[in-house]
Amino acid sequence: MGGLFSYLKSLIGGREMRILMLGLDNAGKTTILYRLQVGEVVTTIPTIGFNVEQVTYKNLTFQVWDLGGQTSIRPYWRCYYANTDAIIYVVDSADRDRLPTSKQELVSMLNEDELKNSILVVLANKQDMEGALTVTEIHQALGLDQIKNRTFQIFKTSALKGEGLEPAMQFLSDALTKRK
Amino acid sequence: MTDAKYFTTTKKGEIFELKSELNSDKKEKKREAVKKVIASMTVGKDVSALFPDVVNCMQTDNLELKKLVYLYLMNYAKSQPDMAIMAVNTFVKDCEDPNPLIRALAVRTMGCIRVDKITEYLCEPLRKCLKDEDPYVRKTAAVCVAKLYDINAQLVEDQGFLDQLKDLLSDSNPMVVANAVAALSEINDSSPSGAPLVEMNAATINKLLTALNECTEWGQIFILDSLSNYNPKDEREAQSICERITPRLAHANAAVVLSAVKVLMKYMEIITDQEFVSVLTRKLAPPLVTLLSSEPEVQYVALRNINLIVQKRPDILKHEMKVFFVKYNDPIYVKLEKLDIMIRLASQANIAQVLSELKEYATEVDVDFVRKAVRAIGRCAIKVEQSAERCVATLLDLIQTKVNYVVQEAIVVIKDIFRKYPNKYESIISTLCENLDTLDEPEARASMIWIIGEYAERIDNADELLESFLEGFADENSQVQLQLLTAIVKLFLKRPADTQELVQQVLSLATQDSDNPDLRDRGFIYWRLLSTDPAAAKEVVLAEKPLISEETDLLEPTLLDELICHIASLASVYHKPPSAFVEGRSGLRKALPAKLAGETTTSEAPSSSSSSAPQVIPSQDSLIGDLLSMDINPPAVIQPAQPAPFGGGVDLLGGGLDALLDVGVGNTATAPPPAQAPMGGGLLGDIFGLAPSTTTYVAPKTLWLPAVKGKGLEISGTFIRKNGQISMEMTLTNRAMQAMSGFAIQFNKNSFGVIPAQPLQVPSPLTPNQSCDVSLLLNTSGPVQKMDPLNNLQVAIKNNIDVLYFAALIPLHVYFTEDGQMDKRIFLSTWKEIPTQNEVQYNLSNMTHNSDTVVQKMQQNNVFTIAKRNVEGQDMLYQSIKLTNNVWVLTEIKIPPGGSLFTLSVKSVTVDVAPGVYQAYENILRS
Repeated sequence: MGGLFSYLKSLIGGREMRILMLGLDNAGKTTILYRLQVGEVVTTIPTIGFNVEQVTYKNLTFQVWDLGGQTSIRPYWRCYYANTDAIIYVVDSADRDRLPTSKQELVSMLNEDELKNSILVVLANKQDMEGALTVTEIHQALGLDQIKNRTFQIFKTSALKGEGLEPAMQFLSDALTKRK
Repeated sequence: MTDAKYFTTTKKGEIFELKSELNSDKKEKKREAVKKVIASMTVGKDVSALFPDVVNCMQTDNLELKKLVYLYLMNYAKSQPDMAIMAVNTFVKDCEDPNPLIRALAVRTMGCIRVDKITEYLCEPLRKCLKDEDPYVRKTAAVCVAKLYDINAQLVEDQGFLDQLKDLLSDSNPMVVANAVAALSEINDSSPSGAPLVEMNAATINKLLTALNECTEWGQIFILDSLSNYNPKDEREAQSICERITPRLAHANAAVVLSAVKVLMKYMEIITDQEFVSVLTRKLAPPLVTLLSSEPEVQYVALRNINLIVQKRPDILKHEMKVFFVKYNDPIYVKLEKLDIMIRLASQANIAQVLSELKEYATEVDVDFVRKAVRAIGRCAIKVEQSAERCVATLLDLIQTKVNYVVQEAIVVIKDIFRKYPNKYESIISTLCENLDTLDEPEARASMIWIIGEYAERIDNADELLESFLEGFADENSQVQLQLLTAIVKLFLKRPADTQELVQQVLSLATQDSDNPDLRDRGFIYWRLLSTDPAAAKEVVLAEKPLISEETDLLEPTLLDELICHIASLASVYHKPPSAFVEGRSGLRKALPAKLAGETTTSEAPSSSSSSAPQVIPSQDSLIGDLLSMDINPPAVIQPAQPAPFGGGVDLLGGGLDALLDVGVGNTATAPPPAQAPMGGGLLGDIFGLAPSTTTYVAPKTLWLPAVKGKGLEISGTFIRKNGQISMEMTLTNRAMQAMSGFAIQFNKNSFGVIPAQPLQVPSPLTPNQSCDVSLLLNTSGPVQKMDPLNNLQVAIKNNIDVLYFAALIPLHVYFTEDGQMDKRIFLSTWKEIPTQNEVQYNLSNMTHNSDTVVQKMQQNNVFTIAKRNVEGQDMLYQSIKLTNNVWVLTEIKIPPGGSLFTLSVKSVTVDVAPGVYQAYENILRS
């Protein structure tokens, strides 16, 4: 019943979902954002700052904030935590060396008070690359087993080919609708 | 409960409210919130805490909101330099926005955000915008390059923006051309070397001229300004540019007209074709006259510029005298300026008209204006000889009005008239004397006294008149005191019989009762002259005076030329070069182009620059400008007289003055040869009796090489300068168990090229525990290599045991050469030339000196005092130093009265020497 109600509400234009897209630099956040928004691969340059776009998925409107992942910008992520409904955490599956760093950023982020109710979606991106780790390996490497009391899911994606984004978005919209 | 509660944030208040509104998901509410934030910002409330929240509103398709956020960024990016980086991506995106307004807005805002961290990210978008398809974006980007240059010049050069900017000069859109020109001029102005970074050539100039006709008035000004900085390669080019510019003279905007005038004035210098020049001259007059019918503020600016133009080329406006006549409703500043120009234009042809105007003005009510009018009449008399008589008559009429300030002003100018036309108008002296009692201003009193003294032989009661002034001697202004002293001495020389008492009285007042050194000195000099050789005194005091010239208030020619190059700017209104009032601009000073070679025509406009520079009063625009004018007190005619042999001549004074000498000076010798006279407390002794000491300050020896490092050899030493020769004084001690021999020395290359001038002579062998003092002469002709610190010297000493290395610091003062005395004028110009960033200031604390002992002490060390002056009780010393490598160092010392904290400013082209110079001052003054 509740689900139906919120579904109807979203039809007549409910609140925009606020989603943060985070991850280390060169993980593919901006590419994913525009893949979601316009359905195409656009040429990107390192994001010094942020992008914010409206993404509509099945009658749900998301306001997706794509924040730059460079070391110099990471400290400012916290400025965006407030009122966040969901986090999309993007990982470069082929970048084995920096997985520990990625894990560290993820863990410290999830410890933030302001994010304790947010849904987490982890995208193991760049699956099209040779030598990319599998979802299970990423799951392991990020220590996702430790996560408790949080709706979360991990997906393998390739923003370049557009694979895996659909299920992730489906999960996200379901989870968000359910939570209403 | 403790008071700590007051410090906990309650999360309430305006900022908190705004913050939540900014984060609202309703667009309307967000926009309202940003507006509120901007409103708070405008009234001065600090809303920088909202920086992240406002930046988050930046990505919007609402142009209004975007503009507001940009406004906020410009204001607060500096206070949040780290966080500002979050805005970069949005800028980059906006620079690619389909809407040209947004692209331009983004690039403009980027240029206004002066945060180092983000400038590098702005290069790529800027490069794109410079090639944008929309002219508005290109134009904005051009200006942005200039802004970026101001933030980071190196970056602009490295990124090749200058070339891109230069390409924009050939843009199809005139507005883009104008803005590119403006940006380039700005960049050239701020170039650190002073040399323009981007040179114009004939082709670009041609493009500018084409764009000139099509762009807006402000664009035209930019183009004209940059044309005025261009030096045409030949006369033909100059002429053609002039021809293409002349139509601008008819423009409605006063700034365009003045800028065009500037270009023409400058190019006229190059053009030798007299006919062309006279055509231009004729064309220049009407637009200048038209400017005088605008509102008073514009009129004033125009008048200040015309004042310069008239000084440079009087021909242009010589027939336009009437437009400078003062209107009753002109504001006072316009009136005074018009008056000034009237005098400059006065000539035989129009003097009758001018005089009747001036006479009219002298009866107005405004005191300042009336004074200036009266003075103007006097100046006309001096300038136009034929009219002198009429002017004097007019002045006499004015004196009859008995209006106090008119009379006083008239007397001051009549004094000048007397100096210009001696022995011509003395008949009016009696009229002047009638007004003696009404004079209460020092200048007028001094002038009157001068007149009495000068014409003492024709004024029967001159002695009585002067005596009456003498009664209040102590209360008079020093100007009046000096004049009274001179006048009475003149009177005495002319009528010795009955004025001896008077002269003795004034001499004793001047030498004994006065604190004013000028007065005292002059008193002593007269006294000495009168007591040794009255004939010589007569020759000196009553010497023929040089005639004064007409234009005493002309600007100095080089300054005038510079100001001509700055017509239509603030400099031409202030009559000061931009460097005098613009902080931090050290750019090249502009000068009119030199005449092109191959012509020596003299039929040029009469007062064209340098050749005719009669007695120009130094401009007082700079700090040390008045340094040189220390001595411009009114007509004191003290010239150095050759000491005439004392003896046979008639002693006018008899014993009377000798007796006085006894009392006053405490010298019992009857008629001593002046040079050796022990005056008072050695007043002059300080100046003349300086026995030149040849050794400069010697620093105590320091330990250069301890025995442990020197394998038993210990060396301490110092450097001295003696009789113009630098030497190294060393004490070598053998602390080892065996004798040492075979000493030799070598220096590494060093900053001043110091090398030994002779081999090292150490008595060999140096037995254990023996020490010896060695003096090694040095010279500075060796190879030079800059050391750090500058005065570091690396030395190698060899003996039979080993080669030993050590470093010694050479105190800079040993490099001060004996010929370091700079000419005053050169000092003044050098001081101005050296950019202010080359000036380094130091404090010298706990000093026990006064200015005299500083002068003396420094002089002994080849630091020469060029000038000394007193500003508000503080003594200022200006000193020059020349180093052995011909580097000049100029210094200024501020000595507060009775204080112990001196301020030392060191100025040199080579700024590296400043710390060394400071150290030298410290050492010498504390020795």
